[in-house]
Amino acid sequence: MTTTRRHAIALLTVLTLASGWAAAAHSAAHDSAQPAPAPVAAPMPADYVPTVLVTGANRGIGLELARQYAARGWKVIGTARKPSEAKELNALAAGSGGKVVVEALDVMDLAAIDALAKKYEGKPVDILFNNAGVTGGGENQQFAKSMKWELFDVVHRTNVVGPLKMAEAFLPNLQAGYQKKISNVSSSQGSIGSTKNGMLYIYRSSKAALNMVMKNLTNQLRSKGIAVALIDPGPVDTDMMASLPKKMLRPVTTAGSDLIRITDGLSMENTGTFWTFDGTVLPW
Amino acid sequence: MLAALGPLVQRLSAAEAPGSIAAPAAAGPGGPAGPVTVLITGANRGIGLEFARRYAVLGYRVLATCRSPSAAPELQALAQKFPGLSVETLDVLDHAGIDILAQKFADLPIDILLNNAGIGGGGENQLFTRLNYETFYEVMAVNAVGPIKVCEAFLKHVQASRQKKMITVSSSQGSIGSVDAPRLYWYRASKSAVNMLMANLALQLKSRGIVVGLVTPGATDTDFMKGLPKRMLRPVEDAVTDMLREIERFDLARTGQFVDTTGDVLPW
Repeated sequence: MTTTRRHAIALLTVLTLASGWAAAAHSAAHDSAQPAPAPVAAPMPADYVPTVLVTGANRGIGLELARQYAARGWKVIGTARKPSEAKELNALAAGSGGKVVVEALDVMDLAAIDALAKKYEGKPVDILFNNAGVTGGGENQQFAKSMKWELFDVVHRTNVVGPLKMAEAFLPNLQAGYQKKISNVSSSQGSIGSTKNGMLYIYRSSKAALNMVMKNLTNQLRSKGIAVALIDPGPVDTDMMASLPKKMLRPVTTAGSDLIRITDGLSMENTGTFWTFDGTVLPW
Repeated sequence: MLAALGPLVQRLSAAEAPGSIAAPAAAGPGGPAGPVTVLITGANRGIGLEFARRYAVLGYRVLATCRSPSAAPELQALAQKFPGLSVETLDVLDHAGIDILAQKFADLPIDILLNNAGIGGGGENQLFTRLNYETFYEVMAVNAVGPIKVCEAFLKHVQASRQKKMITVSSSQGSIGSVDAPRLYWYRASKSAVNMLMANLALQLKSRGIVVGLVTPGATDTDFMKGLPKRMLRPVEDAVTDMLREIERFDLARTGQFVDTTGDVLPW
């Protein structure tokens, strides 16, 4: 910082205090963002079975998350746009003794999110795993070549609005749970500071926007003791990455266990962090 | 205390001398002297109107665009006063309209493409547990999609110019690393999104010599900020003085940067 700048800031600080609006300005800017002490979490009873809600659980990373949480003995609510086509998720549910439940949900349908929350009213959700997401296809978002402008809407609805609406609708359920965590599958592609080239304009902008709304939500929910994570699964061998060479991709089982490990470590001390799959913190 | 006044006084003095910021002779190396052209979106009021006025005073050819020229008396008055300033109809939500305007000026090099048009969406629509989702789509379409569409439509115009600058008025509210109180969810998301889009664009266009920049006005006393106490806001003239200086300073070495009113780089 230049000397000039330091002086200017010092001066402004003094003027601010002197003119008496510091308190008002401070309170306006920080009303809910005080590093409020998080409520002390109640100890989880030994026989308590946690519940995780995973969106987009019909395939890829979402299906893997459902499988791994189910293998832990958790209750899993796995959502899919078309449950009738979610063969693997249905098979998981069928063999789970009722612990895995499949629900129809398109996260672009906000009324349907409300309806699902209504259905689970009064039931705890320990972890909301916002996994459902779309890329829009790299070939549809090349600047000055192939921008499909209407894609902004579907990609942003799915990747930004859906996750925030899920958090809003299931807030009472999260408060009723013991773990109180919201994990979002973000992407290193959403790291503005890591951008090295011009591509995936629409997808990248959606993940940057997701990071922003979830960073806001982190501060919103701090006083309620709810922690928020943004996790990049890395390049994973799923349908979403079908166009990439296999050797660049990590197995979905590894990605799933990475996401779960980071979510296990999520706490009120590290809430609001943007991690990559190995636990490295990514720049915004 | 008084010793600290120096820098601020100097800055205020600079703000009162717009002519010292940039002259139209600011042509790139080797280029013939000629009119320097700026296209400004949302030029009917607030910061956009002040940009139009200041660039006109500096002798630029100004394409001042707004949604409804007939409802923009102050901009019309500027057009009367400055022959180099013309008012054009443009709604950044209307992509076909953007293409039509680009076609209308197909042969005009545009030195500075200034994406200024933006909306806040209203703080009351962006409170968690009471989020108005319709607001999201509108704010994102105006603040993020509009600017990148304008850049695409006018790419050839900027490429043909000497200064070759694509500048977007972003906001410190779009800095994810600086988020404090949870509010303005949609507005902030739209600014993070446009920051991402322009960071990509900077990388894509650098080899063509096109400079992409993100400037911020700070809290400014315009219609946009009505509701905030005046004493928290800076005059629009100061905001534009700072941004004019930063736009002038942008070059290929700084392309893609997101800067505050003093030129310091903001965290993403």
